[in-house]
Amino acid sequence: MVTPLQSQVLLPERIAGLLGLSGTIGQIVGGLLGAFIIANLLLVQTAVAGPWAKRKITAAFTDRIAVNRVGPFGLVVIVADAVRLLSKELVIPEGVDRPAYDLGPLLVPFSALLGFAVIPMGNGIHLADPETGLVFAFAASSIASLGLVMMGYGSNNKYSLLGGLRAIASNIAYEIPLVVTAASVVVFTGTLQMSEIVAQQTQPLLSIAGVTIPQWFAIVNPFAFVLFVVANLAEVGRNPFDVPEAPTEIVAGFQTEYSSVYFVLIYLGEFIHIFLGGAIAATLFLGGPAGPFLPGFVWFTIKIWAFYLFTQWARSAIPRVRIDQFLDIGWKGMLVLSFANLALTAIIVGVIA
Amino acid sequence: MSEWIAIGALGLVAVGIPLGMMAVSALLRPSVPEQGKRATYESGEVPTGTARVQFNIQYYMVALLFVVFDVETVLILPWTVIYRSALDQGVGLTTILGPMLAFIGALVVGLVWAWRNGAVEWVKSPLANRRKTERNA
Repeated sequence: MVTPLQSQVLLPERIAGLLGLSGTIGQIVGGLLGAFIIANLLLVQTAVAGPWAKRKITAAFTDRIAVNRVGPFGLVVIVADAVRLLSKELVIPEGVDRPAYDLGPLLVPFSALLGFAVIPMGNGIHLADPETGLVFAFAASSIASLGLVMMGYGSNNKYSLLGGLRAIASNIAYEIPLVVTAASVVVFTGTLQMSEIVAQQTQPLLSIAGVTIPQWFAIVNPFAFVLFVVANLAEVGRNPFDVPEAPTEIVAGFQTEYSSVYFVLIYLGEFIHIFLGGAIAATLFLGGPAGPFLPGFVWFTIKIWAFYLFTQWARSAIPRVRIDQFLDIGWKGMLVLSFANLALTAIIVGVIA
Repeated sequence: MSEWIAIGALGLVAVGIPLGMMAVSALLRPSVPEQGKRATYESGEVPTGTARVQFNIQYYMVALLFVVFDVETVLILPWTVIYRSALDQGVGLTTILGPMLAFIGALVVGLVWAWRNGAVEWVKSPLANRRKTERNA
């Protein structure tokens, strides 16, 4: 059996220790404060990613300048945009299904934030470490598609309805390749616990000229890594798989009828979702917060931002696939390849071990 | 147990932050009760009827397949967890790998059958097919 390499103190325990609390009170207070810290770390990153970095990256790809008027590099536009978006009038369309219409935008950021509970972010920023961590992260991130369907059905708009249905189609087509590819990593680790998956990747794979290459599963099984990243793009609904929104086909899909704070919440949820996708990929395949010289949290941030940059690159560079092509790629390509990957991984591990 | 308290705390925070943003927005935003802007968007036309209509979602067979494969991933994950430690403890490769390969194989045979029957095809309505042949002719 594999034993933990190091006993890690989780964030709630550390906060409770700092405050001198213990027992259930300490767990609750530490948990709430830790959750607040993690949520705010993500809000800050989303604030930079949404109104600023997305514009700058797309502008760089299309040879434009983008925001540069307010503050250094136009960074203060984040504050201006936050106030602008929140102070817009909330227009509720005729005939909307009220509870569903209002709950949908709440569910999307909720699901993405909840997934971050089990992600180890380095430097002890790790809220919870249950044995079922990996499965929990997938489960939490899938709640979002429920929110998308509620928005699609609740809006009383035909474009929204189509967007909601496409959101389910993409979820059911790419969820299985995603989980089965992750299962091929679990074959190596033998556990679903996130801290343990990260700890096993710190072990050396081989040494070349004094440089030790760690056993990151992206290096051990690059095929699974590529599959996972592609399925992840579809899961978070980014180009070339952004068929649920598809602005040139169905206006904006499920978010057509949303304005003001609801629009902000949907966008917040989608960006946190991209970061969650990047975080799961980093934890499973890129050693989580591990890396040379810099502190763990910095490496973790670099890795999830690299995934974010990749989604924006794909957005600028690759055309969107059609909805029937999209389902074909999922069911005829990704599903078969992910099962082949799982079976081959199990056979290779069995023969070598 | 304590980890689920922490996860529950993040769940509370993850509901609280959106609610807080909604409260801030409710304080900031104007309210202009004018009815014309409440029409749903239909490319600038006056909307016809509601969006609650019956129509072919075109992938219901795929949705049924999803249930099969989703249950299957639930059954595969425990096997992947114990796979390596079982091998380390000297369980034979055929004992631990064989049944799971047979299980995946049965499902793949099912997928091939569904594929050949056109269940994973994008269902085209008869009207769309007729129009397509008319256009090609």
